[in-house]
Amino acid sequence: MKIESTTLRTFTSVHTWVGLVAGFALFVAFYAGAITVFHHELMLWQAPQAASQAEGSIDDAQRLLDETLKRHPASRQWVGMLFPGAESPQPVIYWPDEKAVWHYATLDNLQGSDKPPQAGLSELVNALHFSLGIPVAGTYLMGVVSLLYGVALLSGLLIHLPSLLKDLFALRPGRNLKRFWQDAHNVIGVLSLPMHLMFAITGAMLCLVMVAAVALNPLIYDGKVMEAIGPAMDTAPPTQPAGTPAAMGTLAHWQARAQDVAREQGLSEFEPAYLKLVHAGDRNATVEITGESPRSLGPLGSVALNAHTGELLATQLPGTRDANHGTLASAYALHFGEYGNVWVRWLYFVLGVGGAFLFYSGNLLWIESRRKRRQVQQGRAQVGMAKATVGICIGVCVAISLAFVAATLLEGFAVAHGWNVDAGIQWVCFLSWAACALWAVIRPVAKAARELLWAAALATAAVPIAHGAATGWWWWTSAAQGQWVLFGIDATALALAFGFALLARASARRALHGDPHSVWAEPQPIR
Amino acid sequence: MWARALAGIVAGFFLAAGVVGLIAWAWPGPWQSTLVGSALAFFPAWMLAATGSFLFTDGKRAWLWMGSLAAASFALLWLLRSLQWVA
Repeated sequence: MKIESTTLRTFTSVHTWVGLVAGFALFVAFYAGAITVFHHELMLWQAPQAASQAEGSIDDAQRLLDETLKRHPASRQWVGMLFPGAESPQPVIYWPDEKAVWHYATLDNLQGSDKPPQAGLSELVNALHFSLGIPVAGTYLMGVVSLLYGVALLSGLLIHLPSLLKDLFALRPGRNLKRFWQDAHNVIGVLSLPMHLMFAITGAMLCLVMVAAVALNPLIYDGKVMEAIGPAMDTAPPTQPAGTPAAMGTLAHWQARAQDVAREQGLSEFEPAYLKLVHAGDRNATVEITGESPRSLGPLGSVALNAHTGELLATQLPGTRDANHGTLASAYALHFGEYGNVWVRWLYFVLGVGGAFLFYSGNLLWIESRRKRRQVQQGRAQVGMAKATVGICIGVCVAISLAFVAATLLEGFAVAHGWNVDAGIQWVCFLSWAACALWAVIRPVAKAARELLWAAALATAAVPIAHGAATGWWWWTSAAQGQWVLFGIDATALALAFGFALLARASARRALHGDPHSVWAEPQPIR
Repeated sequence: MWARALAGIVAGFFLAAGVVGLIAWAWPGPWQSTLVGSALAFFPAWMLAATGSFLFTDGKRAWLWMGSLAAASFALLWLLRSLQWVA
């Protein structure tokens, strides 16, 4: 394909600048996102005593529902509950109060709290993923970053289009390092393009869908979008309370009923995940059971029942649901990797780390293509970019690993000393990230890169050691007892630590023996 | 560069909205039944428009073309709706 050279130049600068602006946030989003793929496993890893604890039963869930409805009148309007299972071994119930503040309760804490239980480590990593850990505004910021990411992907594809097929499998190591990095950047970008486009689009949607709905409402939705959102996303038709109290069915009854309905629609499996109950205790109370049916791109479907009579009101199940529910379930499942089995999630992990590399290599390419080839002293912009890349990107890797270490150590002390584990993990994470960034600012950049990579290697290697020391679950104990989740996290941490160590050694070699005319060269003492 | 970027962001927003609106209304069934799909499709449409604006040689052309196309798409949507060809 032939593209004019001026067009190519324009798109190269678009790609460069959009990539640089969004690249730092995207590195964090991808590195944290790759880990967030295993957020259920992280909860177990942080508190492995739950591993030996039995999963809650449907009777436990019933008791929690009854107690919550009795104690908290606001919950009778609208209440949601996680069934004990994969998402959370114990049932968790949540509802908004009169001021629209969310409350969460468990059997251990019937009074409820405004923080979800078991948050801690997995919640922190997830927050880094979707908002960089910045409350409220961070989500919108990441929405904008997703849009820029889309533009960077499209412009990058366009630049590379003329030589895309020819260079697809070219990875040319050798004297021309820029060529090598460029090849690596291109091959990862092209091979994972479908995944990147999917993340750019679903990421933008998840962060900005309400903003877009409000903006598009007068333009194309005739000012009626708010009325249309309910039917597009809920299963149960909207109902008004009748005003007459009536006894409700039991959870076990609803669950069996939903499974029967699913079976009638040809789904052999329907594993309830969560429910929504409105107007509890009223004759018109409706309950919506959402459950998972495997072998569907959008595995979550739901069945709406009258909570009093058990009468079937509506269904939105894989295979028979309408376009809105089918699109929504698939978009969610695609973004979160919640379809297929554990291999899909490993694939997402690998692609996520690969994505982080893509953004990192983009920054390296920017620095490399502006390198002054005949002098040791490099431009201030290049040095600044190198410092920012090292400080923020490697810094977040150090910070996340230290958050893991802090989580497992604090979890042990928390019970004994009444410490706030979540706050502790957050402090460790953000302070160490800031310290890494500062280190990159004050040290010569070649030294900072090497030292921060060693710090990342050590911090990540400390993850399984701290876990073993604090909980007794060493990776060999986990393997011997068949706790593959715990073993998997420890083994992945060791593998990543090894990877960071290799990178640290490579940077050291490059700094001492590579081309001295570069920001990555160690400043040599003048003899 | 900046003029084209701005054209892509602002005029591109309206162009993406107009095109997605046309498809949503012309699609069989009421637009409400494909609301999630059309809201989702708006994001790649906007990304395409914002990238595509750099295909123009300068900002004025980008504004002119994308602005007129956006206006044309809304005019067409309005026409189709007043003729009741779409609902």
